[in-house]
Amino acid sequence: MVGDGSFLVEEFIDSITSQLDRVQDSLRIKAVNRPLTYALKDMSLELKVFVELDAQGKVRFRTGGPNEAGASVVHLGFTTITKPMIEENTVSLAASRSPTLEEAGLAPEEQLRLERVGVRNMAQLERLQSSTGVQTVARYADMPVDRLKRALVLNRPKVTAVHPTPPRPAPVPAPAPRPPQSVAGKPRMPQPQPPASQPPVLKLKPGTRRLQLSGHRLIGEAGPPKVHLNNQPLGIAEADDDRLVVEIPEDHLGGTLEVRLHDGSVAAYELSVDDGESWGPSAGTAGTAGADGHGDAWSDGWAPDEEEMS
Amino acid sequence: MAWHELAETLLELVESVAPQGEPGLVVTEAELEIPLEVGGAVDRGRLVFYAGAPHSRWRTGFLPPVHRSRIRVELVELLEEDAGGR
Repeated sequence: MVGDGSFLVEEFIDSITSQLDRVQDSLRIKAVNRPLTYALKDMSLELKVFVELDAQGKVRFRTGGPNEAGASVVHLGFTTITKPMIEENTVSLAASRSPTLEEAGLAPEEQLRLERVGVRNMAQLERLQSSTGVQTVARYADMPVDRLKRALVLNRPKVTAVHPTPPRPAPVPAPAPRPPQSVAGKPRMPQPQPPASQPPVLKLKPGTRRLQLSGHRLIGEAGPPKVHLNNQPLGIAEADDDRLVVEIPEDHLGGTLEVRLHDGSVAAYELSVDDGESWGPSAGTAGTAGADGHGDAWSDGWAPDEEEMS
Repeated sequence: MAWHELAETLLELVESVAPQGEPGLVVTEAELEIPLEVGGAVDRGRLVFYAGAPHSRWRTGFLPPVHRSRIRVELVELLEEDAGGR
């Protein structure tokens, strides 16, 4: 709502819906002590408003003031719908977790152009692009193709780092003291990038049971990515958009770790089990590998005094 | 006239359908067409709509506009499975 008393149509709908939900909830609470209750089945409102267009091109309503003639009449109908109807007609929660256009770095005018073709987040843009092509989207949204491509590339799902989570403490005490230079979280400089065909190598201490994958947009509409070690699926202990914890078998001997992201790309790492002599938190910090295989890939072999990049 | 939130006004309208006391009469369905004075305001950062009966049935003076509304209420038996959602 702005100073002139006008409000966006979606604000209006949200506000009325919230009020109607309150009515239903109150009626349901009353039913606890009554065998029967009334339910508000539907409601329609002939709202007398002045319709305005703001500087961003968005439609705003302003309710008519006293003795103000010439208002438009907007007929709005609200009705109750069932859960299956909601699921059929709304965007899934998984889809809505995708970055918004604003979070993807698009300017307000660009956001508005994409919203006009029904795109409100990056997942919707990707879906439209995969079905119609980026050229078509750009033509209908009246945006440069390069701008759309850049936004799509920058917001692709990717794995940026893999870390072994600390293994369970062994019954024998006194782990070897860490070198003073090896400070967890201290930025490290990457090694020169290996060829794209060679996946980064991650050395693990024996007994490592979990790996933490850091990244961006790790969860898609179908859920978290599939993670395989030597083509054997791994269990996922924790999943979030920027973090994934996978469980690896206790007796594994290393091999190829593949993360199959929801855009079809695969991030690969080579796991090797070290006997513990050369293992350390720094050596266990995996390099980043772009989902496309030619991202910021760096590998193992960092000396403890090297700086870490996370 | 005191302004009430739209939800409170609608609840009052629904309640008005239920007969008071135990008259042995049950209204199973009702449709109300009523004029409402509706206004919006921002309360704690969110848009809230207020609604109430018109100030007067006469077109006189300096009055806010009246918005015609229609609501339909039905008597329902709340089942266990309905308790989780609409």
